Amino acid sequence: MKRFILPLVMLLAVTLIVAGCKSSSDNSSASNAGDGDGKQLRIAVIPKGTSHEFWRSVHFGAEKAAQEIGNVEILWRGPVVESDTGSQIEVVKSMITMGVDGIVLAPNQKGGLVDAVEESIGEGIPVVIFDSGLDDGPEIVSYVATDNFKGGQMAGDAMAKAIGEKGNVILLRYLAGSESTEQREEGFLEALKKYPDITVVSSDQYAGDNATSAKEKADQLLQLHGESLAGIFAVCEPNANGTLEAIKNAGMAGKIKFIAFDPSDALIQGMRDGHCHGIVLQDPVQMGYQSVITMVDFINGKSAEDFQSTGEYLATPENMDQPQYQTLLKPETVQ
Amino acid sequence: MTENQTRRGKFHWLTSFRHGPTLALLAIIALFAILDWQFGSGRFFSPRNARVIVNSAALIAVPALGMTMIIIAGGIDLSAGTALTLSGTALAIAFRDYTIPADQAGAATWIAAALALGLAVGVLCGLLNGLIISLTEMVPFIVTLGTMTIFLGLGQVIADESTVYPESEHLPDWLRYLCYTGSNSDHYWIDFLHIPASALIAIVLGLLVAALMHFTVFGRNVVAIGSNVSTARLCGIRVGLTTAAVYALAGVFVAVGALLYFANVKNGNPSDGTGKELEIIAAVVLGGGSLSGGRGSVLGTIIGALIIKTISSGCTMLSIPNTYTHIIIGVIIIIAVLIDGLRNGAPKWLFDRLR
Amino acid sequence: MKPLLEVSGISKRFGPTIALDKVSLSAQAGRVLALIGENGAGKSTLLKTLSGAHRADAGTMSLGGQPFRPSSPIDARDRGVAIVYQELTLAPDLSVEDNVMLGRAGTGAGTLMRSNQRAAVSEALHRVGLMHLSPKARTGDQSVATQQLIEVARALISDAKIILFDEPTSSLPAADVDRLFEIIDNLRSRGLAIIYISHFLEEVRRVADDYAVLRDGNSVGSGQLASITDDQIISLMVGRDVDDLFPHVPHEIGDVRLEVEDLGAAPMPKDVSLSLRRGEIFGVAGLVGAGRTELLRCLYALEPTYAGHVRLDGRRLPHNVRGRRKAGFGLLSEDRKSEGLAQNLSIVENLAMGNHDRYSRAGWINLNARLRDAREWIKKVEIKAQDPVQPVAELSGGNQQKVAIARLLAQDAEIYLLDEPTKGIDVGTKAEIYRMMGELAAAGKTVVFVSSYLPELLAVCDRVGVMTRGRLAESRDASEWDEEELMVAALAAVEER
Repeated sequence: MKRFILPLVMLLAVTLIVAGCKSSSDNSSASNAGDGDGKQLRIAVIPKGTSHEFWRSVHFGAEKAAQEIGNVEILWRGPVVESDTGSQIEVVKSMITMGVDGIVLAPNQKGGLVDAVEESIGEGIPVVIFDSGLDDGPEIVSYVATDNFKGGQMAGDAMAKAIGEKGNVILLRYLAGSESTEQREEGFLEALKKYPDITVVSSDQYAGDNATSAKEKADQLLQLHGESLAGIFAVCEPNANGTLEAIKNAGMAGKIKFIAFDPSDALIQGMRDGHCHGIVLQDPVQMGYQSVITMVDFINGKSAEDFQSTGEYLATPENMDQPQYQTLLKPETVQ
Repeated sequence: MTENQTRRGKFHWLTSFRHGPTLALLAIIALFAILDWQFGSGRFFSPRNARVIVNSAALIAVPALGMTMIIIAGGIDLSAGTALTLSGTALAIAFRDYTIPADQAGAATWIAAALALGLAVGVLCGLLNGLIISLTEMVPFIVTLGTMTIFLGLGQVIADESTVYPESEHLPDWLRYLCYTGSNSDHYWIDFLHIPASALIAIVLGLLVAALMHFTVFGRNVVAIGSNVSTARLCGIRVGLTTAAVYALAGVFVAVGALLYFANVKNGNPSDGTGKELEIIAAVVLGGGSLSGGRGSVLGTIIGALIIKTISSGCTMLSIPNTYTHIIIGVIIIIAVLIDGLRNGAPKWLFDRLR
Repeated sequence: MKPLLEVSGISKRFGPTIALDKVSLSAQAGRVLALIGENGAGKSTLLKTLSGAHRADAGTMSLGGQPFRPSSPIDARDRGVAIVYQELTLAPDLSVEDNVMLGRAGTGAGTLMRSNQRAAVSEALHRVGLMHLSPKARTGDQSVATQQLIEVARALISDAKIILFDEPTSSLPAADVDRLFEIIDNLRSRGLAIIYISHFLEEVRRVADDYAVLRDGNSVGSGQLASITDDQIISLMVGRDVDDLFPHVPHEIGDVRLEVEDLGAAPMPKDVSLSLRRGEIFGVAGLVGAGRTELLRCLYALEPTYAGHVRLDGRRLPHNVRGRRKAGFGLLSEDRKSEGLAQNLSIVENLAMGNHDRYSRAGWINLNARLRDAREWIKKVEIKAQDPVQPVAELSGGNQQKVAIARLLAQDAEIYLLDEPTKGIDVGTKAEIYRMMGELAAAGKTVVFVSSYLPELLAVCDRVGVMTRGRLAESRDASEWDEEELMVAALAAVEER
């Protein structure tokens, strides 16, 4: 019995010390927020994860904005476990604790982050949402994103054009509950409704958040529908990379029309080789840039539009060498 | 006999204290507090951060309580993570489809039914593990490796391969704020003490499990089985029944963990659980649990969970990239278990090699 | 003649425990020194100090006139001190020659064996009488006795001047013991010094020339074996006069209590029928593997049976451990290391295991009552321990056995099934266990006593049965047997087939 007492007492003591003096420093975070002029602003930018190219471009855009404004520090923190909502909630809470002046967040789950965002606003820290939407409720400053539905529609039209407006196509989904990709998926399906000769043979498979699982899924789907298949649409970068590999493996490269969303080196090369027939592009640099600008403006007393689109573009084998598309295909990244 | 005594003698300074995990936690807190004060925002050692840490630690600690019992009994449960999200998903579905908004009359009945469903799913998962292990006498590692993917698949089936997100009006306030860490006193169970409800639940359950393990015949039988199953059998302890009961009971903690998980993220995603079991096992091991059975401490487990979350929070505060956070946690787990091994004279090889 | 090895004033302490206290002894070339002592007397510590596994805190050792302070077992072996351990230390998957050469420079698994080394291996094997064994054979496939001889060969090949044998016969069948003794004689005649650790006095008499007795870490006597009697040695070991090796407690045999009918299990026992009376001590003799242990385990319902039943006081018992325990059966396991006790748990825990009912109400244990009870048992059966929460792994073999017995006594059983209760424990404790069995019988309990040590069976039991190949062949009153007849009976059925 004796040996439990000491750890217990220690534990209680620490808890009491820490919890007991709550009032002293709790509100200091809020007081920092308003007086943006004289002192450096610290803005937390929280992506869904940190390992994809896309987020590094967002990071670049955010840093670019910080440099232009001056006197702004960007705290770039992703969730420890990618695509894990709990982990992202922890990061948001840590940022609240650190008393940052604003949080720019790409929520992993439209519903799961609502309370964390509410908590942040409750502590006097404004929140800008980017890339992926958040459920209604919290009073966010603005939602800065690609119009993903429109991007999905562009993909659908590109697909129709590539396959001659008839044939079987597959929609390979990303993860359930991810707002941005769901919108692309819906947009894609919506656009295809205009073409009566196109049949969507599979639209219920989720490829997962990495290229390996996407390749596996695509392999299986190609096995199943390969013979009669005209086209595949993969809704995001890791997804598309895996799908491209699977198509090559199956020896169907070029035969099956392939539309991707978001670029990668492999996809650009695939487009040159004629394996990929269209990439819907977003402007991640602009997304990071505009989110931070919006946040700083808000702190300095300017309000913003509820939704700001950062544009969506379609790169095809024909236009891919134009300078505008080159920068979008290979956006600048941090480091 | 003499072997043991040698090591006791040589490493007296290491072996004499039994509060290894607690001291490690205090050392880690002190380390991060100093580093953060020097190089960071100075907010690491703040009450708010303490709340964030204890809340996220509670999310691991509660299922880890059940894991502690399993590990003491000489078993392991790799399915804890996916069983947790399966139970959480079931809970989310129940709240989405079978409850009425929480402020309407009669909502309490529906809510109770939903909670009972989540609990039942957790217990059934544990019971399934326990029955397979005790009836077939297969290795728990293999059995739960199998059920791990079964529970993941089941979760995806009932969730229709997507994330289940119930309307927030359906959630009663107490549930919404189980994992609340903000500064509004109304959302805490004890107004003047801002301790997250999740942490209070973890502490109360921890005390209950500690009492169960130390003061009841059942608890001592579990220790006996984990220490030496042949001796337990010789002494007439019902090994199969007790083992099954341990896994089923662990299912209760998985279910409570699922409730906290659901209250934290407000939705149910069956694939969130993959990888959680390793965090849970790590908490038990950091707290002094031995994977060879017979040894483990309930309060140690809670401290183990705190250690993991303190490190991850400290790294966030210091802007250490995630990749390094993973490495740091891994290194600390290995060092902790190695030091713990010295206490028990296990790594004889180390000293033989070094000689 | 100057001794080859001289140990003087060696002390070693582990924390508060003094394992060796100024121990001195000397070993002559060409003679066998028996190192005698009870378990926990410090024999193993002394052995490890000699082999370099431990370093002495004080005292000096010299080997062949040179100071000897080995830094590791390998160092000790290079200087001519080799040990044959009680537990085999061979790698079972390696070949015999690899094992013999293991740890020697330039050889071992994976490296090529040179032809001169091969010759050395075969010579060493020859010297230990293994001339017919292929050096390429897998070690794990050999019998325990052969493996032990391979260990001796390993010692020989390192040009050992002294070979230490740590209770080498404890895992050997009788026939192989003789072979080992012949080899020891042979080694002695070649001028090696042998230190032989044992507590079997018969063996010591057979093989040794000199003796040294340790007790509680002290040297308490040494000299030539020819000049001392067994009783004197025992009183040196125990520290007091053991007037009677087999203390007899008078007890009265009453009515039949336990009836066993045609008990059969796969593969053993076969068709065992037996009836035992109140206050009776029934001995079971037989060779290892004759099914004695299996019989006890079936009686205790620890193993499944396919035929027969067990009645107590005319009532037929269900076949499960809890049922048997409830009816008053208690089993002392033969294997206290891996079954009898949970080694990493404390004395209290081990004593209470399975007996928790008596300190608990509605499943909650009264820890104070449990501890108080444990202290009482420790006092009653004289367990030498620092405190009741000490792990049993830290106790000596004899004291561990006392814990196992105390748990059985605490169970307050009616039928005591004792499987080799005196295996590997010292003379003093053995006598206590015999007395305890007598006292149980006197209290009207029934005792079944399985042993391979015939003298104790004949001295302690009222009736002795012999098991061969799973059958209980013959039982007679103990007074109607002698050792030779028991041996013949045990071997009889074996030779039949």
